[in-house]
Amino acid sequence: MKQGFRQSMAWLHTWSGLVVGWVLFAVFVTGTATYYRADISRWMQPELRREATVTPETLAASADLAVAHLQAQAGAARTWFIGLPTPEKPLVELFWRTKPGAAPGHVLLDPRTGAPAAMRATRGGDFFYRFHFELNLPPLWGRWIVGLCAMVMLVALVSGIVTHRRIFSDFFTLRRDKAAQRGWLDAHNVSGVLALPFHLMITYTGVVTLALMYMPWGVTAAYKGDQFAFFAETGQITRNRPAAGQPGTLAPVGPMVRQALATIPEPLERLTIANPRDANSTVVAVFEEPHGLSHEHPQVAFAGTSGDVVEVLSGGLQPAAKTFTTLVGLHEAHFAGAALRVLFFLCGLMGCAMVASGLVLWSVARLPKSGAVPGFGWRLVHALNLGTIAGLPGAVAAYFLANRLLPLDLAGRAEWEVRVFFGTWILVAGLGAWPAPRRAWRLSLAAVAALFAAVVVADAATARGLWDDPAWFLGFDAALLALAAGFALISHKIARYAGPRRARRAVPEPAPRMEAA
Amino acid sequence: MTLLIGAGLSFLGLAALCLSMGRHHQALWPVPPESRRVLGLRVAGWTLIGLSLAAAIRLDGWNFGPVDWLGSLTGAGLLLIVVQSYRPRVLLWLVPVAAAITAVAALGALA
Repeated sequence: MKQGFRQSMAWLHTWSGLVVGWVLFAVFVTGTATYYRADISRWMQPELRREATVTPETLAASADLAVAHLQAQAGAARTWFIGLPTPEKPLVELFWRTKPGAAPGHVLLDPRTGAPAAMRATRGGDFFYRFHFELNLPPLWGRWIVGLCAMVMLVALVSGIVTHRRIFSDFFTLRRDKAAQRGWLDAHNVSGVLALPFHLMITYTGVVTLALMYMPWGVTAAYKGDQFAFFAETGQITRNRPAAGQPGTLAPVGPMVRQALATIPEPLERLTIANPRDANSTVVAVFEEPHGLSHEHPQVAFAGTSGDVVEVLSGGLQPAAKTFTTLVGLHEAHFAGAALRVLFFLCGLMGCAMVASGLVLWSVARLPKSGAVPGFGWRLVHALNLGTIAGLPGAVAAYFLANRLLPLDLAGRAEWEVRVFFGTWILVAGLGAWPAPRRAWRLSLAAVAALFAAVVVADAATARGLWDDPAWFLGFDAALLALAAGFALISHKIARYAGPRRARRAVPEPAPRMEAA
Repeated sequence: MTLLIGAGLSFLGLAALCLSMGRHHQALWPVPPESRRVLGLRVAGWTLIGLSLAAAIRLDGWNFGPVDWLGSLTGAGLLLIVVQSYRPRVLLWLVPVAAAITAVAALGALA
């Protein structure tokens, strides 16, 4: 190794960034969307009617109704999850798990009638949330891939800081009158440096959220691999009560809900009922997090057959657990109000821009000389760049569009929306690989812009009559239009880009160029 | 409110630091800044950024203050970079407007 330190860091930054860049772009885009997960879910179910308040009586009655439904439909399940109505989503959401590996059961009930709620089936914002760390793969695979990419991203961030020799003097510099490579480098530097605190925080805390999966050895040694025992002992969940193996009858949960509400002042979010037909059944009431950086849900556990309180968890974490929950809380940003959330969202967009500009920079810096045929490696990177950077936003738009256009009674409708998402992604990536690079970028980004605009048209045409709060829906549509305008602007810039003036003067008649932008 | 004050002070501070650099100074004025002006702008810039951190901690405490401060600093930086790169002359009126908004917001927070 004859190279200097900075050169070897530049090499490390280039190649570590390239190999994980495509996955990271997808993780950044879906993670940024997840800041508005609840809003996306609401937009995707315009039939939903919100309520001003949810009274303790409604909560207790909803819990009883949920248990009655589960006793009839999911008696054999090991665990029941009951999402209780909130003013934003006044519905009862039930999940149950019968055995490991089997798909969980799921139903959405109207608490007033007890019948399944009349809503279009969709995965809503939860799809982006899960994709963000599982990539729609089996959880274990997805989490490992995302985690490894995030760890490499930390390497890329730190080596990028070392490589960047003019962090301060180029802090405000975005040159657009120089060569394409210089412009892309400036864009990469500005989006990376300006939001650097966010990038470091979000990558590090992202790895921390799943740290126990990536580094299980401490828990394996101290708790024989029983992660639940570890979480219980550190005060993050209530203690596990193993099944007795004797049949038992669950006491009415309504009174338990009332007692839990009297114990904890936060809004009640859900009930978890473990081993519901066992003599040792457990009902856990889980509350929303109190306002704070830390991700901590207060919980009250009841013995299922008697209805007696067995444990109350509310604050009081030890320093190590508090550190962990605070890092997780910073990652999720549940504490962020509307204005701070916009800033987090902008930082997320800058993360997307940093990854995308880095990927484009790789191919712009290695552009074949004009007239030369690009090699296989360059064409592969170009196709993957375009397939990811244009394909994924196109897929997001198509997912929204499918939500408005697929027939409401289509069997497996929620899965069809996801199929449209991946179908569009593959289509954009496949079609984008054929035309000349510059034309491919221009056309694909114009198509993405058209798709986002089409979502707004489809929303106004098919769902306007369902809007319970027109201003809110118009606001969401305005955000989609802003995205459409952004993509249209980039496509337009690519069409207009003519290279720096100096270079044009030197070469009076430029041959057709291969710029990516 | 904290975010507005923090973003306003950060914007003014970052704008001062930005204009203390020859390249960005010349986007607005024909000559590079003289050394006393550079010093003045840098001192003002870092003081304003320090003030924005102090204001965020004062208004939102040690837990949320630094988070709010970093968020508003990043947002203000993004606005500044886009404006001075695409329409640098807009800074000539945007800086006074930002100063006025920040002053009003700060008075509102003190009252």
